[in-house]
Amino acid sequence: MNEQNAPATYQLPPQMSTVAAEVDWLYYFIYWLSVVLFVAIVGAMIYWAIKYRERPGHKAEPTGHNLPLELAWTIAPIFILVFLFHKGFQGYLDMTIAPPNAIEIRVNAKQWSWEFVYPNGGSSDKLHVPVHKPVKLVMASADVLHSFFVPALRIKRDVVPGMYTTVWFEATQTGKDDIACAEYCGGRSEGPGGELPYEPTNDPDNPYVSGQMTGHWAMHSRVYVELQEDFDKFVKSIGDKCDAYRSEGKICPGEVAAAEGQKLSVSKGCVACHTTTGMRLVGPSWKDIWGKEESTDKGDVLVDENYIRESILAPQAKIVTGFQAVMPTFSGQISDPEIDELIAYIKSLK
Amino acid sequence: MAAIDIPVVGGHPAGAGDPHANYLEARHGLASWALTVDHKRIGLMYLTAVSTAFLAGGIFALLVRLELFSRGRTIVDAETYNRFFTLHGAIMVFLFIIPSVPAALGNFFLPIMLGAKDVAFPRLNLLSFYLWLIGASIVLSSIVLGTVDTGWTFYTPYSVQTANSVISMTLGVFVLGFSSILTGLNFLVTVHTLRAPGVTWTRMPLFVWGMYATALIQVLATPVLAITLLLLCAERFFGIGIFDPKLGGDPVLFQHFFWFYSHPAVYIMIVPGMAIESELIATFSRRAIFGSFAIAMSSIALAILGFLVWGHHMFVAGMSEFATMLFSALTFLVAIPSGVKVFNWTATMYKGSIVWASPMLYAMAFIFLFTIGGLTGLFLGTLSVDVHLTDTYFVVAHFHYVMMGGTVIAFLGGLLYWWPKMTGKMHDEFKAKVGFVFVFIGFNLTFMSQFIMGSRGMPRRYYDYLPQFEPFHRASTIGSWILAVGLFTTAYTLLEALWRGKRAPRNPWGSAGYEWMTDTPPCVANFHETPIITRGPYDYHLATPEELNTGWDELEAESKKG
Repeated sequence: MNEQNAPATYQLPPQMSTVAAEVDWLYYFIYWLSVVLFVAIVGAMIYWAIKYRERPGHKAEPTGHNLPLELAWTIAPIFILVFLFHKGFQGYLDMTIAPPNAIEIRVNAKQWSWEFVYPNGGSSDKLHVPVHKPVKLVMASADVLHSFFVPALRIKRDVVPGMYTTVWFEATQTGKDDIACAEYCGGRSEGPGGELPYEPTNDPDNPYVSGQMTGHWAMHSRVYVELQEDFDKFVKSIGDKCDAYRSEGKICPGEVAAAEGQKLSVSKGCVACHTTTGMRLVGPSWKDIWGKEESTDKGDVLVDENYIRESILAPQAKIVTGFQAVMPTFSGQISDPEIDELIAYIKSLK
Repeated sequence: MAAIDIPVVGGHPAGAGDPHANYLEARHGLASWALTVDHKRIGLMYLTAVSTAFLAGGIFALLVRLELFSRGRTIVDAETYNRFFTLHGAIMVFLFIIPSVPAALGNFFLPIMLGAKDVAFPRLNLLSFYLWLIGASIVLSSIVLGTVDTGWTFYTPYSVQTANSVISMTLGVFVLGFSSILTGLNFLVTVHTLRAPGVTWTRMPLFVWGMYATALIQVLATPVLAITLLLLCAERFFGIGIFDPKLGGDPVLFQHFFWFYSHPAVYIMIVPGMAIESELIATFSRRAIFGSFAIAMSSIALAILGFLVWGHHMFVAGMSEFATMLFSALTFLVAIPSGVKVFNWTATMYKGSIVWASPMLYAMAFIFLFTIGGLTGLFLGTLSVDVHLTDTYFVVAHFHYVMMGGTVIAFLGGLLYWWPKMTGKMHDEFKAKVGFVFVFIGFNLTFMSQFIMGSRGMPRRYYDYLPQFEPFHRASTIGSWILAVGLFTTAYTLLEALWRGKRAPRNPWGSAGYEWMTDTPPCVANFHETPIITRGPYDYHLATPEELNTGWDELEAESKKG
């Protein structure tokens, strides 16, 4: 951990994001509330167990009734619980709804590694983010469930195959922290030549690499919170690598190319019904559709990754007002990476 | 009610021998056990079976802890470790905790506490035991033959893709579910139809109330698990595309299905523990449970609320914000009946006459540990805090404080409490208390360290971990050894009583409960004549001195004479 980080308390890791202080305040509020209740209950129990212990001449009094007391301890907790619910939900909304100006970084999870793709198409296996800037992660899994967890940012979100999940944060200081997978995703320890060697290291960036035995626990990465200029430099450096690829006519690894999406829109026949000019054909035009509130037979929906994905795989799920339900499903005829490329293309039409 | 005169089908009275004979000695031979329809014998067979499962699950727990003692590879490789924690979880949940209290102690004592000769359907009772054996054998064979490494939750799509014997494991759990449903059904009917004269609903012992609430959940929730597991098998066999996103399925749907059963199942596990707790606190405080009506109703409230909060396992799993909000609010409601119970138990001790017997030590430990388990639930119900804590060791510690600190501790207390009635032999109290001290210290060391590493960011189901977590893992592993010493001491104490224990009198603890009014051990028909109940099971001020007489003096006089 970087020295600049707010010091870790005994129970919680350093605070590196805008939501951390609020989460920790609530954590310690519940903690001290629990301590008080625990001491009161267990203290009374031990005190009475000693004071009223069985001995000659001592007899138990028959149990009476005390309705006011019973009502009191049934009703009083409700106020505390409502307060906890309210604060918890408020904090949860803060960490769920990303500000519109957030930098968008794609996260690709697979057994057992993370890949981060930046707006310019460059990618890395460690996450670099600028300090004091909201960052939105759009996450997809290539195989099974994973969960993106950064203790110091107090964020965690499952990465689910077949859909996009998002999480956002704004780092409050430069520094580093661990990225962990928090949803069990299996493991492997047998190689072609039998058992694989394994030894953990003390390198914080690569704590598990010295062996080939791998799995859920080894799906480790790091987040580097940097000053804006360092971040820009980093993104440019991986972007330059991409430019080198492009100059050779290849696609940068990890890049989701809008240009490929455009080719797909022709080869899959999308353009027969969807224009990119704003003109209306059988289906809605793709021009400026990204990020729009679209009116459908199931109510208003935001056009985002999950909506486009659904519209391709299950077109009958939501029908845009004024259009017929005539689009066939492309389920089984289009791969996940291809859907990503189409999304990138639709995004570029804004 | 003349329910007691309903002829009991099966072994009794025709095949069970003399209805007035000691149930253990009425008949002999293997067949007299294997084909018995006596609920007491079935209870004992269940007890043997679930204790074996507890031993197996415990060994896997110790192996998991041992592997985590040091960073890197300690004893096994990663795949084997993944199988160990899967087996630990699956065995403990499906083979041990769910059947433990209802099928073993409930089977034995529920009819006696109602003044009945047996459960309503004795043959169904035996069938449920054999279904348990079949289910357990299938689960165990998938251990021997296969390589289940999915975790006990079988989350898709991993459980659809991984090449292993997930199918035999889920089929085993499917069969176990039937065993659970049949026991629940049997208890519901027994409580409704076989109460002895005078056992009104308000006079029904709190243990029976707890069993009744549990049976309700078993009957209503278990079929959903059965359907879910069948769908999982169908998905693996035929690739239908319900849960697998590659086929257009929804992996989060599996989590909904799974927790729709498995959250109510948490109450199948804890409500019986609470039921034992009420008996222990009343007996060893020598007075009625404070607000016993509230205790009974809070069991029912937990049974109902338990059905409405499954989504709190999925706050970060990709549910909508609206669903998340709703499940958080409902989850907080669970705190109220749980709190009412703890307050009532503690208040019962006020102006009581507290006997520091070994079962009471467990009862007090239950309040201590369950309070921690319950209060840490507040952290997890609070959404923004849960985001940080979910899927870390904090959750592992939380549910062990509830499941083990609650149910298992109550189960041990209940075993020590009822052991003399079940076996006719008295255990050694000193050894039982020594065992208790080890269990209590070991448990807290094991799981308190897990709370701290969890809130510091240690995810669960990890084969290896970062260097900063090593001290906590070491403390936890050492705690597990102390806990094991305590459990083995307790097991030895109970078994030793069988061959070296003093003969137990009718009512060794001086309880006013109905089950102590009959012989020790009970006769085949439970009572020599139909009991007519005129007071509540905790009315110490109404009980006659004869009813509260422990019987120790008579035994002593007898042995002097003899």
